[in-house]
Amino acid sequence: MKSIEIHELTKQYGSTRAVDGLSFTVRPGRVTGFLGPNGAGKSTTMRLVLGLDRVTSGTATIGGRRYTSFTHPLREVGALLDPQAAHGSRTARDHLLALAVGNRLPRDRVDRVLEETGIASAARKRIKTFSLGMRQRLGIAAALLGDPAVLMLDEPANGLDPEGIIWIRELMRRLASEGRTVLVSSHLMAETAATADHLVILGRGRLLADLPMNDFIDAHSRARVRIRTTEPERLRTLLGREGRLLLDAGDTGWTVDGIRAEEVGALAAREGIPLLGLADERASLEQAYLDLTAADTPFASTAPSVRQEA
Amino acid sequence: MSATTALPVRPVLHAEWIKIRSVRASFGSLLSIPLVTVAISLLVGATVGQDEADSLGPDRLSGAFYALNFGQIAAIAFGTTTLAAEFHNGALRTSLTAVPDRTRFFLSKIGVLGFAALLLGQAATFVSFLGGQALMGSQAIGLGDEGALRATVGGGIYLALMALLAAGLTALLRSGVAVLSLLIPFILIVSFIIGDMAGGAAQYLPDRAGQLVLQQDPQGSLGPWAGLAVTALWAVAALAAGWAALRRRDA
Repeated sequence: MKSIEIHELTKQYGSTRAVDGLSFTVRPGRVTGFLGPNGAGKSTTMRLVLGLDRVTSGTATIGGRRYTSFTHPLREVGALLDPQAAHGSRTARDHLLALAVGNRLPRDRVDRVLEETGIASAARKRIKTFSLGMRQRLGIAAALLGDPAVLMLDEPANGLDPEGIIWIRELMRRLASEGRTVLVSSHLMAETAATADHLVILGRGRLLADLPMNDFIDAHSRARVRIRTTEPERLRTLLGREGRLLLDAGDTGWTVDGIRAEEVGALAAREGIPLLGLADERASLEQAYLDLTAADTPFASTAPSVRQEA
Repeated sequence: MSATTALPVRPVLHAEWIKIRSVRASFGSLLSIPLVTVAISLLVGATVGQDEADSLGPDRLSGAFYALNFGQIAAIAFGTTTLAAEFHNGALRTSLTAVPDRTRFFLSKIGVLGFAALLLGQAATFVSFLGGQALMGSQAIGLGDEGALRATVGGGIYLALMALLAAGLTALLRSGVAVLSLLIPFILIVSFIIGDMAGGAAQYLPDRAGQLVLQQDPQGSLGPWAGLAVTALWAVAALAAGWAALRRRDA
């Protein structure tokens, strides 16, 4: 199975560096979430991998080869970049048929992916009559057409209904479990948390993080323990001796910052304070992500607002 | 990238044909090349007829191809809309994802476009000539008359060249609207006015030069085939510029 290899990749548009010395590898068999604020360079990186934009320096390859060197690229890589990137007056079927024929794919692949993405009933309708969600499904159908080992999907959940979001989540999990390489960009943290195993995070064209999802969340979770007890006053005194503050969290009990559950448990057991509930609080992906990108201040101070996604 | 890898291959040519026939504006203007040319030829033949044959000018051969003035608009529309379809909503990105070699992509598209325009262009001139002349009675000229076969074949080639010229310009300017609003007024007005005023140099304009092939006995320094060759050079120049722009730019 093939990886996507990004090495020292740089793309300059005029005076703007959209991608700046980026290096990472997207490996097969797992879903890699591709995160970053608008203008961080996610879409640009994907376009550079596909040879749509010319690299300024560095390389972007798939299994060691440039995308432009493939004779039948749709059999190697499936990409969803922009769901609007199809001519509106073609029917969905003709759109896919032209792609299939040009890559020597059998015609029944067209019907297969139309079925798989749930738009078979609209196959003979013009694309301009499609809703955003249907266009998104058509774009995913095009990505799946060549049964590729590598998939790159830019915001695939965009415009999908709740049923569609569950469908795309399960599709990505399945593709990864089949040993394929799956790179998915998203602004939806809950979605990414539910699908990705690994994260690549960009900020202003540079790599901010490249690590497993769990490591990322652990690294950005501040130590905080959530406690339920029948004797808060005794616990408060006990924690006070450790220099910790017991904070009232309302109905859900109490919280203590800067300490881990095993330490609180040991202390309470020694003093014989009954605990009804005790758990480390873990940051959500969203919190961890905002924490990381907010800390990205050297760039934020040089430009006041975030550039729009190109 | 070696030269041979960039040549069109059958699957890509087939894909480009599917793309042409599946967009109404492209396919419609392709069919319009013979439809418009034949319809106007028949109309002119039927209304001008034998009695007023002289009203089409002293050159009865170029009079027989009067309808090409309208057919060429269809040819330009075909070349323009076919390329403009790629610049619509960023459809080019999808196309280049499927065929990332831009030279192969461009040559395939131009090849299919040129072949289709040539085929229907020849149909347009042959049916127009034979049909139009059938209504001219005793004033009719036939394919056997001097220059008639040359004008009929050359007229079909001329239509294909105008489609290719428009296609090249559209690839260069990335806008069908820009090309149509440039070429159509140029052919309808500018070339007409300059052509009458400027004398010698005006015969090298793309439409003027190519239409020499329709004349019984062209005046000026260019012969009928040399005129058509000048139009071919214009088309090749536009295509080369379009190809260079497509290769250089980010999609």
